[in-house]
Amino acid sequence: MSHDTLSPSGRRLRLAATLIGAVLLLAGTIAGTDDDFPFGPFSMYASAQRLDAPVADTRIEAVDTGGRRWILTQTDTGIRRAEIEGQLDHFTARPATLSALASAYERRHPGAPALTTIEIVVRWHEVRGGHPTGRYNDQTRAVWHP
Amino acid sequence: MSEHLGRATAWLTEAVPRARLAWFRTVAYLFIAADLVWFTPWVRHHGQLPADFYRPLLVGRLAHLPIPTGPLVEAVYWLLLTAALAAATGRAPRLLGWTVFVLYAEWMVVAMSYGKVDHDRFALLVALAALPTAGPAAYGDRIRTERGGWALRVTQLAAVATYFLSAWAKLRFGGPQWLTSATLTWALLRRGTPLGQPLTDVPGLLVAAQFGIMAFELLSPLVFVLPRRWRHLGVAFFYAFHLCVFATTTISFIPQLVALTSFLPLERLGDPRRRRALRLEVAGERARERAGGRAAG
Repeated sequence: MSHDTLSPSGRRLRLAATLIGAVLLLAGTIAGTDDDFPFGPFSMYASAQRLDAPVADTRIEAVDTGGRRWILTQTDTGIRRAEIEGQLDHFTARPATLSALASAYERRHPGAPALTTIEIVVRWHEVRGGHPTGRYNDQTRAVWHP
Repeated sequence: MSEHLGRATAWLTEAVPRARLAWFRTVAYLFIAADLVWFTPWVRHHGQLPADFYRPLLVGRLAHLPIPTGPLVEAVYWLLLTAALAAATGRAPRLLGWTVFVLYAEWMVVAMSYGKVDHDRFALLVALAALPTAGPAAYGDRIRTERGGWALRVTQLAAVATYFLSAWAKLRFGGPQWLTSATLTWALLRRGTPLGQPLTDVPGLLVAAQFGIMAFELLSPLVFVLPRRWRHLGVAFFYAFHLCVFATTTISFIPQLVALTSFLPLERLGDPRRRRALRLEVAGERARERAGGRAAG
Protein backbone atom coordinates (compact mmCIF):
# COMPACT_ATOMS: atom_id res chain seq x y z
CA MET A 1 0.00 0.00 0.00
CA SER A 2 1.52 3.32 -0.99
CA HIS A 3 -1.41 5.46 0.02
CA ASP A 4 -3.28 5.66 3.34
CA THR A 5 -6.76 6.66 2.10
CA LEU A 6 -9.87 7.49 4.08
CA SER A 7 -13.16 5.68 3.75
CA PRO A 8 -16.17 7.80 2.72
CA SER A 9 -17.47 7.63 6.31
CA GLY A 10 -14.06 8.61 7.73
CA ARG A 11 -14.08 11.60 5.39
CA ARG A 12 -17.60 12.61 6.38
CA LEU A 13 -16.80 12.28 10.07
CA ARG A 14 -13.78 14.56 9.70
CA LEU A 15 -15.74 17.11 7.69
CA ALA A 16 -18.42 17.13 10.41
CA ALA A 17 -15.85 17.47 13.22
CA THR A 18 -14.19 20.36 11.40
CA LEU A 19 -17.50 22.15 10.89
CA ILE A 20 -18.58 21.67 14.52
CA GLY A 21 -15.25 23.05 15.73
CA ALA A 22 -15.53 26.02 13.37
CA VAL A 23 -19.10 26.80 14.49
CA LEU A 24 -18.16 26.66 18.17
CA LEU A 25 -15.15 28.90 17.63
CA LEU A 26 -17.15 31.38 15.57
CA ALA A 27 -19.92 31.45 18.17
CA GLY A 28 -17.34 32.03 20.90
CA THR A 29 -15.77 34.86 18.93
CA ILE A 30 -19.11 36.54 18.25
CA ALA A 31 -20.81 36.14 21.63
CA GLY A 32 -18.53 34.24 24.02
CA THR A 33 -16.25 35.20 26.88
CA ASP A 34 -13.01 33.85 28.37
CA ASP A 35 -15.17 31.43 30.35
CA ASP A 36 -15.81 29.48 27.12
CA PHE A 37 -12.15 28.48 26.78
CA PRO A 38 -10.90 27.15 24.41
CA PHE A 39 -13.66 28.48 22.15
CA GLY A 40 -13.83 31.97 23.66
CA PRO A 41 -12.88 35.11 21.74
CA PHE A 42 -9.16 35.72 21.08
CA SER A 43 -9.39 38.97 22.98
CA MET A 44 -5.74 39.58 23.82
CA TYR A 45 -5.12 43.34 23.59
CA ALA A 46 -8.48 43.72 21.87
CA SER A 47 -9.74 46.67 23.90
CA ALA A 48 -9.24 50.17 22.52
CA GLN A 49 -7.29 52.06 25.17
CA ARG A 50 -8.12 55.77 25.16
CA LEU A 51 -5.35 58.14 24.17
CA ASP A 52 -5.68 60.15 27.38
CA ALA A 53 -6.66 57.43 29.84
CA PRO A 54 -4.11 56.57 32.52
CA VAL A 55 -2.49 53.14 32.14
CA ALA A 56 -2.63 50.79 35.13
CA ASP A 57 0.50 48.80 35.92
CA THR A 58 -0.02 46.42 38.85
CA ARG A 59 2.75 45.17 41.09
CA ILE A 60 2.94 43.15 44.27
CA GLU A 61 5.38 44.48 46.87
CA ALA A 62 6.70 42.46 49.77
CA VAL A 63 8.61 43.34 52.92
CA ASP A 64 10.37 40.68 54.97
CA THR A 65 11.47 40.57 58.63
CA GLY A 66 14.90 41.83 57.51
CA GLY A 67 13.28 45.05 56.24
CA ARG A 68 13.91 44.23 52.59
CA ARG A 69 11.22 45.59 50.22
CA TRP A 70 10.96 44.23 46.70
CA ILE A 71 8.52 43.32 43.93
CA LEU A 72 7.18 39.79 44.22
CA THR A 73 7.27 38.18 40.78
CA GLN A 74 5.99 34.96 39.30
CA THR A 75 9.40 33.45 40.03
CA ASP A 76 8.93 34.23 43.74
CA THR A 77 5.42 32.81 44.13
CA GLY A 78 4.52 30.82 41.03
CA ILE A 79 1.47 33.05 40.59
CA ARG A 80 1.21 35.21 37.49
CA ARG A 81 0.67 38.95 37.69
CA ALA A 82 -2.29 38.67 35.32
CA GLU A 83 -3.94 36.20 37.68
CA ILE A 84 -3.60 38.63 40.57
CA GLU A 85 -5.02 41.39 38.37
CA GLY A 86 -7.82 39.03 37.32
CA GLN A 87 -8.75 38.48 40.97
CA LEU A 88 -8.02 42.03 42.19
CA ASP A 89 -11.61 42.49 43.35
CA HIS A 90 -11.23 39.36 45.47
CA PHE A 91 -8.05 40.69 47.13
CA THR A 92 -9.34 44.20 47.75
CA ALA A 93 -12.52 42.82 49.31
CA ARG A 94 -10.61 40.33 51.47
CA PRO A 95 -6.94 41.34 51.86
CA ALA A 96 -6.48 38.42 54.30
CA THR A 97 -6.51 36.10 51.28
CA LEU A 98 -3.12 37.55 50.28
CA SER A 99 -1.75 35.08 52.83
CA ALA A 100 -1.93 32.59 49.95
CA LEU A 101 0.84 34.60 48.24
CA ALA A 102 2.89 34.61 51.43
CA SER A 103 2.64 30.86 51.85
CA ALA A 104 3.40 30.34 48.14
CA TYR A 105 6.54 32.45 48.62
CA GLU A 106 7.56 30.65 51.80
CA ARG A 107 7.06 27.24 50.22
CA ARG A 108 9.45 28.20 47.45
CA HIS A 109 11.97 29.88 49.77
CA PRO A 110 12.23 27.69 52.86
CA GLY A 111 14.58 29.30 55.37
CA ALA A 112 14.24 32.81 53.88
CA PRO A 113 13.15 35.62 56.26
CA ALA A 114 9.36 35.58 56.67
CA LEU A 115 7.16 38.20 55.00
CA THR A 116 5.72 40.96 57.18
CA THR A 117 3.81 42.88 54.50
CA ILE A 118 2.34 42.27 51.07
CA GLU A 119 0.82 45.15 49.13
CA ILE A 120 -0.90 45.26 45.79
CA VAL A 121 0.00 48.60 44.24
CA VAL A 122 -1.41 49.92 41.00
CA ARG A 123 0.76 52.52 39.27
CA TRP A 124 -1.29 54.82 37.06
CA HIS A 125 0.89 56.17 34.25
CA GLU A 126 -0.38 59.46 32.85
CA VAL A 127 -0.89 59.31 29.08
CA ARG A 128 -1.53 62.29 26.76
CA GLY A 129 -2.22 61.90 23.06
CA GLY A 130 -1.19 58.24 23.23
CA HIS A 131 2.20 58.93 24.79
CA PRO A 132 3.28 58.56 28.40
CA THR A 133 4.13 61.89 30.05
CA GLY A 134 6.43 60.19 32.56
CA ARG A 135 4.17 61.24 35.47
CA TYR A 136 2.36 58.63 37.54
CA ASN A 137 0.69 58.04 40.86
CA ASP A 138 0.62 54.89 42.94
CA GLN A 139 -2.56 53.52 44.46
CA THR A 140 -2.40 50.81 47.12
CA ARG A 141 -5.31 48.43 46.61
CA ALA A 142 -4.74 45.81 49.30
CA VAL A 143 -2.41 45.37 52.27
CA TRP A 144 -1.71 42.19 54.19
CA HIS A 145 0.15 41.63 57.47
CA PRO A 146 0.49 38.22 59.14
CA MET B 1 -23.18 21.93 -4.10
CA SER B 2 -22.05 18.35 -3.51
CA GLU B 3 -19.20 18.91 -5.97
CA HIS B 4 -18.01 21.91 -3.93
CA LEU B 5 -18.37 19.90 -0.76
CA GLY B 6 -16.35 17.09 -2.32
CA ARG B 7 -13.60 19.50 -3.33
CA ALA B 8 -13.57 21.10 0.14
CA THR B 9 -13.34 17.67 1.78
CA ALA B 10 -10.54 16.62 -0.58
CA TRP B 11 -8.63 19.78 0.40
CA LEU B 12 -9.33 19.16 4.06
CA THR B 13 -7.92 15.64 3.84
CA GLU B 14 -5.16 16.27 1.29
CA ALA B 15 -2.59 13.51 1.79
CA VAL B 16 0.82 14.28 3.28
CA PRO B 17 3.87 12.01 3.67
CA ARG B 18 3.60 9.98 6.87
CA ALA B 19 7.13 11.15 7.72
CA ARG B 20 5.78 14.70 8.05
CA LEU B 21 3.10 13.50 10.44
CA ALA B 22 5.69 11.52 12.43
CA TRP B 23 7.85 14.60 12.88
CA PHE B 24 4.91 16.83 13.73
CA ARG B 25 3.82 14.33 16.35
CA THR B 26 7.28 14.35 17.91
CA VAL B 27 7.46 18.16 17.90
CA ALA B 28 3.97 18.58 19.40
CA TYR B 29 4.34 15.96 22.15
CA LEU B 30 7.87 17.02 23.06
CA PHE B 31 6.50 20.54 23.39
CA ILE B 32 3.86 19.31 25.85
CA ALA B 33 6.62 17.85 28.02
CA ALA B 34 8.66 21.06 27.74
CA ASP B 35 5.57 23.16 28.46
CA LEU B 36 5.02 21.35 31.75
CA VAL B 37 8.63 21.62 32.85
CA TRP B 38 9.83 24.95 31.42
CA PHE B 39 7.31 27.15 29.68
CA THR B 40 4.37 27.24 32.09
CA PRO B 41 5.75 26.07 35.45
CA TRP B 42 3.15 28.24 37.25
CA VAL B 43 0.34 25.80 36.41
CA ARG B 44 1.75 23.28 38.86
CA HIS B 45 1.55 25.79 41.72
CA HIS B 46 -2.20 26.19 41.31
CA GLY B 47 -2.58 22.97 43.28
CA GLN B 48 -1.20 24.79 46.32
CA LEU B 49 -3.66 27.68 46.18
CA PRO B 50 -6.70 27.86 48.48
CA ALA B 51 -9.88 26.51 46.91
CA ASP B 52 -11.60 29.91 46.82
CA PHE B 53 -9.13 31.11 44.20
CA TYR B 54 -10.50 28.50 41.81
CA ARG B 55 -12.92 29.97 39.29
CA PRO B 56 -13.66 26.99 37.05
CA LEU B 57 -14.13 27.52 33.34
CA LEU B 58 -17.40 26.47 31.70
CA VAL B 59 -15.80 23.24 30.48
CA GLY B 60 -14.66 22.44 34.03
CA ARG B 61 -18.16 23.04 35.40
CA LEU B 62 -19.84 20.99 32.66
CA ALA B 63 -17.49 18.07 33.25
CA HIS B 64 -17.79 18.44 37.05
CA LEU B 65 -14.01 18.47 37.34
CA PRO B 66 -12.74 18.41 40.92
CA ILE B 67 -11.19 21.47 42.58
CA PRO B 68 -7.44 21.17 41.94
CA THR B 69 -5.54 20.00 45.01
CA GLY B 70 -1.81 19.43 45.44
CA PRO B 71 -1.93 15.64 44.97
CA LEU B 72 -4.32 15.87 42.00
CA VAL B 73 -2.15 18.41 40.16
CA GLU B 74 1.00 16.39 40.90
CA ALA B 75 -0.63 13.21 39.61
CA VAL B 76 -1.73 14.90 36.37
CA TYR B 77 1.74 16.46 35.99
CA TRP B 78 3.66 13.19 36.20
CA LEU B 79 1.15 11.13 34.20
CA LEU B 80 1.04 13.77 31.47
CA LEU B 81 4.83 14.12 31.36
CA THR B 82 5.23 10.35 30.98
CA ALA B 83 2.46 10.02 28.39
CA ALA B 84 3.74 12.97 26.33
CA LEU B 85 7.30 11.62 26.21
CA ALA B 86 6.00 8.19 25.24
CA ALA B 87 3.71 9.70 22.57
CA ALA B 88 6.64 11.67 21.13
CA THR B 89 8.17 8.36 20.03
CA GLY B 90 5.18 7.79 17.73
CA ARG B 91 4.26 4.47 19.38
CA ALA B 92 0.61 3.59 20.05
CA PRO B 93 -0.52 6.90 18.53
CA ARG B 94 -4.19 6.40 19.29
CA LEU B 95 -3.93 5.25 22.90
CA LEU B 96 -1.13 7.59 23.93
CA GLY B 97 -2.57 10.43 21.85
CA TRP B 98 -5.97 10.34 23.57
CA THR B 99 -4.30 9.96 26.96
CA VAL B 100 -2.25 13.12 26.37
CA PHE B 101 -5.31 14.95 25.04
CA VAL B 102 -7.47 14.16 28.08
CA LEU B 103 -4.72 14.93 30.60
CA TYR B 104 -3.68 18.15 28.87
CA ALA B 105 -7.32 19.27 28.73
CA GLU B 106 -7.52 18.83 32.51
CA TRP B 107 -4.16 20.61 32.80
CA MET B 108 -5.60 23.54 30.85
CA VAL B 109 -8.57 23.79 33.21
CA VAL B 110 -6.13 23.89 36.12
CA ALA B 111 -4.10 26.53 34.28
CA MET B 112 -6.86 28.87 33.14
CA SER B 113 -9.29 28.75 36.09
CA TYR B 114 -7.45 31.22 38.32
CA GLY B 115 -8.35 34.61 36.91
CA LYS B 116 -6.47 34.62 33.61
CA VAL B 117 -7.12 32.79 30.33
CA ASP B 118 -4.40 32.56 27.68
CA HIS B 119 -5.14 32.68 23.97
CA ASP B 120 -1.89 31.28 22.64
CA ARG B 121 -2.76 27.58 22.32
CA PHE B 122 -6.02 26.99 20.48
CA ALA B 123 -4.22 25.49 17.46
CA LEU B 124 -2.10 23.26 19.66
CA LEU B 125 -5.24 21.91 21.37
CA VAL B 126 -6.73 21.20 17.94
CA ALA B 127 -3.55 19.33 17.01
CA LEU B 128 -3.75 17.27 20.21
CA ALA B 129 -7.39 16.40 19.43
CA ALA B 130 -6.62 15.42 15.82
CA LEU B 131 -3.29 13.57 16.17
CA PRO B 132 -4.75 10.45 17.84
CA THR B 133 -6.89 9.89 14.71
CA ALA B 134 -4.02 10.30 12.25
CA GLY B 135 -2.81 6.70 12.20
CA PRO B 136 0.69 5.25 12.39
CA ALA B 137 3.69 7.10 10.97
CA ALA B 138 7.47 6.75 11.06
CA TYR B 139 10.21 9.27 10.23
CA GLY B 140 11.31 7.56 7.01
CA ASP B 141 7.79 6.63 5.89
CA ARG B 142 7.03 7.99 2.40
CA ILE B 143 3.51 6.59 2.23
CA ARG B 144 1.03 9.43 1.86
CA THR B 145 -1.74 9.63 4.43
CA GLU B 146 -5.09 11.39 4.28
CA ARG B 147 -5.79 10.88 7.98
CA GLY B 148 -2.48 12.59 8.69
CA GLY B 149 -3.31 15.26 6.12
CA TRP B 150 -6.51 16.13 7.96
CA ALA B 151 -4.73 16.40 11.32
CA LEU B 152 -2.19 18.82 9.88
CA ARG B 153 -4.84 20.77 7.92
CA VAL B 154 -7.07 21.42 10.92
CA THR B 155 -4.04 22.51 12.92
CA GLN B 156 -3.16 24.97 10.16
CA LEU B 157 -6.76 26.19 10.01
CA ALA B 158 -6.83 26.69 13.79
CA ALA B 159 -3.50 28.56 13.73
CA VAL B 160 -4.74 30.95 11.04
CA ALA B 161 -8.14 31.27 12.73
CA THR B 162 -6.27 32.47 15.81
CA TYR B 163 -4.98 35.44 13.81
CA PHE B 164 -8.11 36.14 11.80
CA LEU B 165 -10.51 35.87 14.72
CA SER B 166 -8.32 37.98 16.99
CA ALA B 167 -8.84 40.78 14.44
CA TRP B 168 -12.56 40.05 14.79
CA ALA B 169 -12.26 40.25 18.60
CA LYS B 170 -10.51 43.62 18.29
CA LEU B 171 -13.41 44.92 16.24
CA ARG B 172 -15.92 43.41 18.69
CA PHE B 173 -14.33 44.74 21.89
CA GLY B 174 -12.37 47.76 20.74
CA GLY B 175 -14.30 48.73 17.62
CA PRO B 176 -12.71 50.43 14.60
CA GLN B 177 -11.18 52.99 16.97
CA TRP B 178 -8.86 50.18 18.14
CA LEU B 179 -6.70 51.10 15.15
CA THR B 180 -5.93 54.58 16.47
CA SER B 181 -6.15 53.75 20.17
CA ALA B 182 -3.34 53.64 22.72
CA THR B 183 -3.50 49.85 23.11
CA LEU B 184 0.11 49.15 22.12
CA THR B 185 1.29 52.08 24.28
CA TRP B 186 -0.62 50.48 27.13
CA ALA B 187 0.92 47.06 26.43
CA LEU B 188 4.45 48.45 26.26
CA LEU B 189 4.05 50.58 29.40
CA ARG B 190 2.90 47.51 31.29
CA ARG B 191 5.36 44.95 30.00
CA GLY B 192 7.71 46.57 27.50
CA THR B 193 11.29 45.27 27.34
CA PRO B 194 14.24 47.70 27.13
CA LEU B 195 13.80 47.26 23.38
CA GLY B 196 10.03 47.84 23.47
CA GLN B 197 9.60 50.62 25.99
CA PRO B 198 11.34 53.39 23.97
CA LEU B 199 8.86 52.76 21.13
CA THR B 200 6.14 54.54 23.16
CA ASP B 201 7.99 57.82 22.52
CA VAL B 202 8.06 57.56 18.72
CA PRO B 203 5.10 59.55 17.36
CA GLY B 204 2.76 57.60 15.11
CA LEU B 205 4.80 54.40 15.18
CA LEU B 206 2.48 52.38 17.40
CA VAL B 207 -0.66 53.49 15.57
CA ALA B 208 1.02 52.43 12.31
CA ALA B 209 1.88 49.10 13.96
CA GLN B 210 -1.79 48.68 14.96
CA PHE B 211 -2.87 49.18 11.32
CA GLY B 212 -0.20 46.66 10.32
CA ILE B 213 -1.33 44.07 12.87
CA MET B 214 -4.98 44.39 11.87
CA ALA B 215 -4.09 44.08 8.15
CA PHE B 216 -1.89 41.04 8.75
CA GLU B 217 -4.51 39.30 10.88
CA LEU B 218 -7.33 39.94 8.41
CA LEU B 219 -5.19 38.82 5.46
CA SER B 220 -3.68 35.76 7.18
CA PRO B 221 -6.12 33.26 5.53
CA LEU B 222 -4.48 34.11 2.20
CA VAL B 223 -1.66 31.78 3.28
CA PHE B 224 -3.88 28.93 2.08
CA VAL B 225 -4.19 30.19 -1.50
CA LEU B 226 -0.59 31.28 -2.02
CA PRO B 227 1.71 29.16 -4.20
CA ARG B 228 3.94 26.93 -2.10
CA ARG B 229 7.05 29.13 -2.10
CA TRP B 230 5.02 32.17 -1.08
CA ARG B 231 3.17 30.15 1.48
CA HIS B 232 6.44 29.38 3.22
CA LEU B 233 7.29 33.07 3.15
CA GLY B 234 3.90 33.76 4.72
CA VAL B 235 4.65 31.30 7.52
CA ALA B 236 8.09 32.89 7.93
CA PHE B 237 6.27 36.21 8.33
CA PHE B 238 4.10 34.72 11.11
CA TYR B 239 7.25 33.61 12.93
CA ALA B 240 8.87 37.02 12.42
CA PHE B 241 5.76 38.70 13.86
CA HIS B 242 5.99 36.62 17.04
CA LEU B 243 9.72 37.33 17.28
CA CYS B 244 9.01 41.09 17.24
CA VAL B 245 6.23 40.72 19.82
CA PHE B 246 8.53 38.68 22.04
CA ALA B 247 11.44 41.11 21.69
CA THR B 248 9.28 44.08 22.69
CA THR B 249 6.89 42.59 25.29
CA THR B 250 8.21 39.05 26.16
CA ILE B 251 4.85 37.61 25.05
CA SER B 252 5.98 34.40 23.38
CA PHE B 253 3.00 32.49 21.94
CA ILE B 254 5.19 29.37 21.89
CA PRO B 255 2.26 26.90 21.52
CA GLN B 256 1.19 28.79 18.39
CA LEU B 257 4.76 28.59 17.04
CA VAL B 258 4.67 24.82 17.55
CA ALA B 259 1.30 24.54 15.78
CA LEU B 260 2.65 26.56 12.84
CA THR B 261 5.19 23.80 12.11
CA SER B 262 2.19 21.96 10.59
CA PHE B 263 2.83 24.14 7.51
CA LEU B 264 6.43 22.98 7.10
CA PRO B 265 7.83 20.09 5.04
CA LEU B 266 9.07 18.40 8.20
CA GLU B 267 9.76 15.15 6.35
CA ARG B 268 12.94 16.81 5.08
CA LEU B 269 14.39 16.33 8.55
CA GLY B 270 14.92 12.76 7.35
CA ASP B 271 15.05 9.53 9.24
CA PRO B 272 17.61 9.59 12.06
CA ARG B 273 17.71 5.79 12.24
CA ARG B 274 18.26 5.43 8.51
CA ARG B 275 20.98 8.09 8.59
CA ARG B 276 22.78 6.19 11.31
CA ALA B 277 22.39 2.93 9.42
CA LEU B 278 23.73 4.61 6.29
CA ARG B 279 26.72 6.01 8.17
CA LEU B 280 27.53 2.58 9.59
CA GLU B 281 27.19 1.03 6.16
CA VAL B 282 29.55 3.58 4.57
CA ALA B 283 32.05 3.18 7.41
CA GLY B 284 31.92 -0.62 7.03
CA GLU B 285 32.46 -0.37 3.30
CA ARG B 286 35.49 1.92 3.77
CA ALA B 287 36.94 -0.45 6.35
CA ARG B 288 36.50 -3.34 3.92
CA GLU B 289 38.10 -1.29 1.13
CA ARG B 290 41.08 -0.48 3.33
CA ALA B 291 41.42 -4.09 4.41
CA GLY B 292 41.05 -5.19 0.76
CA GLY B 293 43.66 -2.61 -0.32
CA ARG B 294 46.18 -3.89 2.21
CA ALA B 295 45.55 -7.46 1.17
CA ALA B 296 46.05 -6.55 -2.48
CA GLY B 297 49.22 -4.58 -1.69
